[in-house]
Amino acid sequence: MNRFWTLLVLAGASFVVSVTAQAEPVKIAVIETLSGGQAAVGKMFLTAINYGLIKVNDEKAWPDGIKVLEYDNQGGPSEAADKVKAAINDGAHIIVQGASSAIGGQITDDVRKHNMRNPGKEIIYLNVGAEAMEFTGSKCHFYHFRWNGNAEIRLRALLTAMKDTKTLGTKVYVIGQNYSWGHDVERLVKEYAKFGNYTVVGDVIHDVNKIQDFSPYVVQIKEANPDTVITGNWSSDLLLLMKAAGDSGLKVRFATYWMDQPGNVANAGATAIGHFNVSSFYPEANGEATQKFADDFKGKMGQYPVFIQAHTVHGIWGLGEALKKVKPGPDGKLNVKQLAFAMETVTVKTSMGEVVMRKEDHQALLPLVVATVSKDAKYKVDGTDMGFKPMRLISGKDAAGPVQSSCKMERPAP
Amino acid sequence: MEFLVVSILNGVIHGLLLFMVSAGLTLIFGMMGVLNFAHAWFYMLGAYIGFTLTRTVGFWAGLIAAPLIVGLCGALVERYMLRRVHRYGHTHELLLTFGLAFIIEELIKLFYGDFPVNYAMPPYMKFAAFTLYETNYPFYRLFMGIVALVMFAVLYVLLTRTRVGIIVRAATYRPVMVEALGHNIPVVFMSVFAAGAALAGLAGAVAGAFFPTGPNMAVDFGTLVFVVVVVGGLGSLEGALVASLMIGLFISFSAGLNWSLADLLAVVGLGGWAREVGGLLTLQLSTVAASMPFLLMLLVLLIRPAGLFGDRQ
Amino acid sequence: MIRSGQIGVCVLVGLLVVLPLLLTPNLMNAAIKMMIAALFALSFSLAMGQAGMLSFGHSAYYGLGAFATLHLMKAVEGSLVTWPTPLLPLAGAAAGFLCGVALGWLATQRTGVYFAMVTLALAELLYTLAPTWNSVFGGEAGISTMRMNSWSINFASDTGVYYLTFAWVAVSTWCLWAFTRTPMGRLALAIRDNEHRVRFLGFNTHLAKTLIFATSTMFTGVAGALLAIANEATNYTIFSAQASANVVLQTFIGGAGTFFGPALGAAIMTFFARMTSDLTRSWLLYQGLIFVIVMLFVPDGIGGLISAHVRMLGKSAVRQLSLPYLLCLVVGALLAFGVIFTVESVHVVLSDAYSVLRRANGGALVPYPLFGQTFNPLSPWTWAIPVVSILAGAALLPLARRLTRRGWSQALQERAV
Repeated sequence: MNRFWTLLVLAGASFVVSVTAQAEPVKIAVIETLSGGQAAVGKMFLTAINYGLIKVNDEKAWPDGIKVLEYDNQGGPSEAADKVKAAINDGAHIIVQGASSAIGGQITDDVRKHNMRNPGKEIIYLNVGAEAMEFTGSKCHFYHFRWNGNAEIRLRALLTAMKDTKTLGTKVYVIGQNYSWGHDVERLVKEYAKFGNYTVVGDVIHDVNKIQDFSPYVVQIKEANPDTVITGNWSSDLLLLMKAAGDSGLKVRFATYWMDQPGNVANAGATAIGHFNVSSFYPEANGEATQKFADDFKGKMGQYPVFIQAHTVHGIWGLGEALKKVKPGPDGKLNVKQLAFAMETVTVKTSMGEVVMRKEDHQALLPLVVATVSKDAKYKVDGTDMGFKPMRLISGKDAAGPVQSSCKMERPAP
Repeated sequence: MEFLVVSILNGVIHGLLLFMVSAGLTLIFGMMGVLNFAHAWFYMLGAYIGFTLTRTVGFWAGLIAAPLIVGLCGALVERYMLRRVHRYGHTHELLLTFGLAFIIEELIKLFYGDFPVNYAMPPYMKFAAFTLYETNYPFYRLFMGIVALVMFAVLYVLLTRTRVGIIVRAATYRPVMVEALGHNIPVVFMSVFAAGAALAGLAGAVAGAFFPTGPNMAVDFGTLVFVVVVVGGLGSLEGALVASLMIGLFISFSAGLNWSLADLLAVVGLGGWAREVGGLLTLQLSTVAASMPFLLMLLVLLIRPAGLFGDRQ
Repeated sequence: MIRSGQIGVCVLVGLLVVLPLLLTPNLMNAAIKMMIAALFALSFSLAMGQAGMLSFGHSAYYGLGAFATLHLMKAVEGSLVTWPTPLLPLAGAAAGFLCGVALGWLATQRTGVYFAMVTLALAELLYTLAPTWNSVFGGEAGISTMRMNSWSINFASDTGVYYLTFAWVAVSTWCLWAFTRTPMGRLALAIRDNEHRVRFLGFNTHLAKTLIFATSTMFTGVAGALLAIANEATNYTIFSAQASANVVLQTFIGGAGTFFGPALGAAIMTFFARMTSDLTRSWLLYQGLIFVIVMLFVPDGIGGLISAHVRMLGKSAVRQLSLPYLLCLVVGALLAFGVIFTVESVHVVLSDAYSVLRRANGGALVPYPLFGQTFNPLSPWTWAIPVVSILAGAALLPLARRLTRRGWSQALQERAV
């Protein structure tokens, strides 16, 4: 809330100080899950977005400043649809969201339909967190930009790094949650068997957020006797799985997508040590540069960037770079179509490397880092004595998967 | 063979944990006819109290204080809220507890944040009790099971062998008569509610050290507790125990089985067709393990609504 | 003689018709959602208030109506069938009715709390199985489609959707009200009061209950269809227990004993959720507090309260009760302000942004911003604000109650005379 007031004052000040003629700030609507079960993650996105905007405003990417409007989607797609309409009515040019693929799906469709029905009044959807494949596949459209990874990119990074460090083994087990994300990950793990030189010795899908006791699944894993278990699980599903595995003394390596969600390492304790995780950022991933970024983030926002925050910041910086390329129209307004054209060829220099937006499907090719939980890490997490020690930094180009054939993007005339 | 033994072991412990949480609920319902929606939230409150006290005073202090504090909260809720609403009917009481659940969750989130907190058991309890088929069995699971069994034993003895128990049981059936005999019925009701809440608080303090303690822990448990209470029979302690064990074993076994309807149809030769149709028919049991208790609840309600041990009405 | 109730209804209808011209697009959207919630609550209250069947799984029919309509819309979009958009809710009605007959036949075999549990179990099963059945329920992303224009009405804009929703809600409300006047409606009341006796009078109560339940779910399906038309998409989370519990709460807050009570409760709570969710992060806490306070002190709901006023008081009551009610309002505002101030202060002080400020000042408890002002957490003046507010409210409360009671007895006396 403080950020909102600060930025409002900033925007207001720049508004007053700037040209006496009509001047219009760019309005960004953050439609996030700020209450209810997933509020923790939604608030993290908001913090990261506000941090990203500091640099964008400092560099005066848009002369009249950027105004942030916050909306709470209450964790449901129906309420998110309401807030999208509210944001449009409040004059937002860009909608940013990340905390849920289901909500992201609603937003991306609503944005597409709005743009179809209201040519000249388009809005952009900046996706900073929804990782389901369909956003750059069957649901892709010109005004959607994904600045985070997806199931395939992260898997490629994981497999590349673990193959390189010879920690993958030849037998892989995949366990996932019973919805599109879990199915995507399972499908991809099977598809990439040749890429990673492994065989999939077993797979199981389970209810989302309902299982308290994962030991039956651990028994199944033990029977299959894999070297590595790959899972896209998050939140308590991941935590309980790892706890059950640790408690039973199962000697297997976990390769996860979301172990760095705050609270996981603290609750898993020593069980977490030695397991692998792929993320868009760790403070030690790229030497001095990433450490500087982490310290600056902590100084301004009160905590080190964790989990999904870094790629969200990079996404906002990408918006800033695109804004630099477009000029206000004669009436001071932003031409969103031009902005979209500018954004699809943008490159952002970040502490992790270059993030490049791919024109064909509007998927950002972002560098990823694969790390393992260790007591040797310099930056500890969750108030424990453990942290994430990077093993390999995979560049955006290497991690990127091919453009999905289901993406048939219709481009407007420039 | 290994699958059988491990599943039974896990299922029994999981069931005993469920019993710890649902014992209080079934008592409260049997006694007062109130389906206390906030029961799982008392569980969460107990876990957070345990967490706070573990960090400041000690683990065992937390285990003792949590049920006392949550019991006190329960008594206050009954005295000042439920009693007022009692004459408007059971739905009002239920909705009041629903609102209470919101309040408890939001207050906890306000003070402790939205992320799971690190409520850990003391290091000297973190060892393997025994090793079975090369898999370690953590001691704390046995500890939870022992606490649950002690809880059941104490409650059972209290209810069936003591004077207080007789009064409580009589008040379940004929509260007006019991009051006419000179017993203070409002105090009895309040104590039962407080005791139920205290049990939930104890369950939270014990289980929270093993399972992740976070603001979502009540929601995850909430509906399953209802299933246990309904299947066991509303108001019956033995029913709650048997039902929890049943459901714990059921979930444990089905998590490990990959059977589906298509497999069943394969017995009559329609397997290939079923697999082609897909959807519901190829759904594996392991995928919907945690949702099957609802099917069980439905069957029990349709066939024998009083539950396994409840009274026929 | 035109009764005041009829005048009230005409005024309401007239207001709703001209509302789009008066409101901003945001508020018009809110109005659409409020009307849909009101219809949902009214249809729920048919089963519950009239027939005494408390259903904890009504969101199942809401969702099924929505999905049925979306599939029809998809078929229209893909030019497989032609179906005018304004008649789309018929699909929702059909789905609601058929599923209500099927599932209701199972559920109505039990009564009371067991009936509620059966409906809950059915809804939960649907909720867990829906995400696995992708062809019907579309998995996590759900089903998404577009409205097509029909009958030369432009449905691409929200105004068209508003009038469509209004028309259907008005017709459905009239049908629901008319239902209570039919013999079946009367039978529902009888079954609620004494089912045993009704059976002995020769009626097949199981069939009757099933049909009444199916009628209720039919209109719930219409509400779901209207949601699908407004949002053009839905996913399986519409089946959640949260949605079912919400409609029960809205009905009781509005007052289960009156006809319009549930609609009022639904409209108010939907509006409340919408407005406060953007203003504060603790809005769920306030919502919980409102639930508890209404259950404790206004058991007949807001609708019951209004109905009691309309029924029992005459015109002179305005004079006698305006001062006491004004005092009650002041007391309420003081107490509310005190609570809100405390909650929001705690929220700000425990937030990350504040810890940044503290770190910048060496860990000291610096002044924190709230409502556009800054407050010093250590200063007694800061604490004085909520404490004084709550104490003042608590001190004035007995006076307010006494005055209200006196005003009521005076008004009732004058009415009796």
